[in-house]
Amino acid sequence: MQIQVRLIGLFKTGRFREETRSYPAGSLVADVVSDLDLPREHLGIVLINDLHADLESPLNDGDRLTLLPLLDGG
Amino acid sequence: MIIQTTDPAANPQAISYHRCTVDLRSGKIVYADVPCRNLDDVLGGFGRSFQDLAERRIANAYCDENPLIVNTGLLTGSTAMTGLRTYFSAYSPIKGSKKGLPAAMWSTGSGKFGAKFKWTGLDELIFENRSERPVYALIEETADGPRVELKPAAHLRGLSTHDKIMALYKEYPDAHFAAIGPAGENWQNNYMGAVALSTENQLKSGEDKCRFAGRGGMGSMMGFKNVLALVARSSDKTKPLSAAVKAANINVIKGGGSARIQPLSRGGGGGTWAAYDVMQVFNAVPVNNFRPQGNALPEKLFRENVEPDYDIKSEACYRCGITCHNNISEKNPDGSRGEFLAKFDYEPLNLLGTNIGIHDAGQAARLIQLGDNYGMDSISLGVTISYVMAYNERHPEAPILNGASFGDYEKARELIIQAGEGRLPEIGRGSMRLSESLRETSYAYHVKGLEIPAYQPETNPGYAWAIAGGHMSMGTYGMLTREGKSDVDSWVKGITEEKLHIVGFDMIGLCKFFDISKGISTDMIVDCLKSEFGFEVTIDDLRRAVRRAFMRGLALELRQGYSRDEYDLPAEVYENPNPHIKLPRITTPEFMAELKKRVWAVFDKEIDAVFGSDFIRF
Repeated sequence: MQIQVRLIGLFKTGRFREETRSYPAGSLVADVVSDLDLPREHLGIVLINDLHADLESPLNDGDRLTLLPLLDGG
Repeated sequence: MIIQTTDPAANPQAISYHRCTVDLRSGKIVYADVPCRNLDDVLGGFGRSFQDLAERRIANAYCDENPLIVNTGLLTGSTAMTGLRTYFSAYSPIKGSKKGLPAAMWSTGSGKFGAKFKWTGLDELIFENRSERPVYALIEETADGPRVELKPAAHLRGLSTHDKIMALYKEYPDAHFAAIGPAGENWQNNYMGAVALSTENQLKSGEDKCRFAGRGGMGSMMGFKNVLALVARSSDKTKPLSAAVKAANINVIKGGGSARIQPLSRGGGGGTWAAYDVMQVFNAVPVNNFRPQGNALPEKLFRENVEPDYDIKSEACYRCGITCHNNISEKNPDGSRGEFLAKFDYEPLNLLGTNIGIHDAGQAARLIQLGDNYGMDSISLGVTISYVMAYNERHPEAPILNGASFGDYEKARELIIQAGEGRLPEIGRGSMRLSESLRETSYAYHVKGLEIPAYQPETNPGYAWAIAGGHMSMGTYGMLTREGKSDVDSWVKGITEEKLHIVGFDMIGLCKFFDISKGISTDMIVDCLKSEFGFEVTIDDLRRAVRRAFMRGLALELRQGYSRDEYDLPAEVYENPNPHIKLPRITTPEFMAELKKRVWAVFDKEIDAVFGSDFIRF
């Protein structure tokens, strides 16, 4: 299935800003995170089609997955 | 401190802290070892100072009876990482109820002053009354214990925060400093004065790299008292790290507590500046007085767009491995580092940048630097300026002040200078008073008289219950954005249970980045207290003390006349919902009404049980 992956902040470094990628049917958000070798300690927010999700959320063909780092302090 | 117990929760009276009280009117100085009343007292910071403030009935911040309390936390000056905090507490000139009474307030900052202060042997310094002439207080370690002396300070008057510190440094090269700027000196017309705290980096480099206790006008209180600076002179008392503290410190750096704040070069998130990238995904970066437009304008201040033109250096507070500072300097034509400009943190960058329509990093940096040099809270300053610009946008036929509009750097600069010099009370007294005088309060972005930080109120109903600044005394600012919580149950739980615990750091002497998500009620803190003091304290003991201190702060607000209507968000949030913010719209009147009902049901009962109804009627 095709997943449009959007990376925010430090996750873009050395990777990409936005890309459509292929994953096997039944893939979870965690599979994409592993595939992209994102540092999990920095993973703060997961959005699927602009709605909050988590690592165990399943993905469907055509989904737009946004992965954001943690947000803290000011 | 004199410690004669291993159980500070059960036997707090067996622990005494060393207090010095200075009567600025008479010059009388009294030292005392004061037994602790409870664990809140032992931990220190606002946990202690608010108990003292609660003993006084203050109707006007600028009165002789309003003390300025300077203290530290239990772990200030310890080997625990980030143990550098100094606390300034008083009834605030800027935060106050509609009834006209000032709210109790604390403000805190790092730098090395707090550790030096603690190492003199003093735990608390209270200034009573006010001095007729400008003075600074010299706090020294002596063979007979700490000694406090008042010195003439006319030569410091008018200097910037940084220049005051550097002038004192020439005289006391082995000391560290807390100083106000011209804004605090002009306390009559400027209620948002901050206290600057010196750093090792500042003293060595000569660059204005202070840290600030900014919120609540504690610098204005110092100015009112005519105390222009504090000098803490002691030997450094760094002791070898114990295995327990070393493990905690490693955990702070590597265990996730602060990983997101670490520099990008170390695989971290790059400090709080990185919040820009995250908030922009939701169109939730404040723009033009908290009205995000759903466009890409905020991206101009993304780090990746600033880095090509400016030098960015990651630096740290004294002995702190978190290294959260992003110090911005000009870049010379040959690529080398040029003049230092400012430290880019999310709040000042946004509130003196994007939120006043400034999208040029150099201009934003210059405004931050200017506000810092005058010694003003960048949050209150930025938000009051954005209010002026919003007013002028709505009234092009009759603009106020210098007619500043969004994006007008020169006019924003002019407003900062005039406010810092005490020539513009309209700005210096904050957005609540200005908006009330103009009878246009709905888009004044303050809660309970204190300007909100750079998180849209639409994302944080918890602002209403923050007791000393919107995000650092109620940790709900990420509940909708980060956690996706949009139901009332979660918000009631967040506000009344977990998120209030963020204030524990404002008792114990540590920076919130020690472990911002978990607070101080953790095994890490228990281990540090055991190692540093031999204390057998439990996580539950700590939780109870932090909660009690928070409740006391809330009860003190009620005592100072806050009505329930004041526990709310700026009216524009309801009257003109922003269609661009890409998050569930929770800040409806119905949601807030239900939230208020349920939060107060919890808090009222507890305040009554812990402090009794007489406390509020005092």
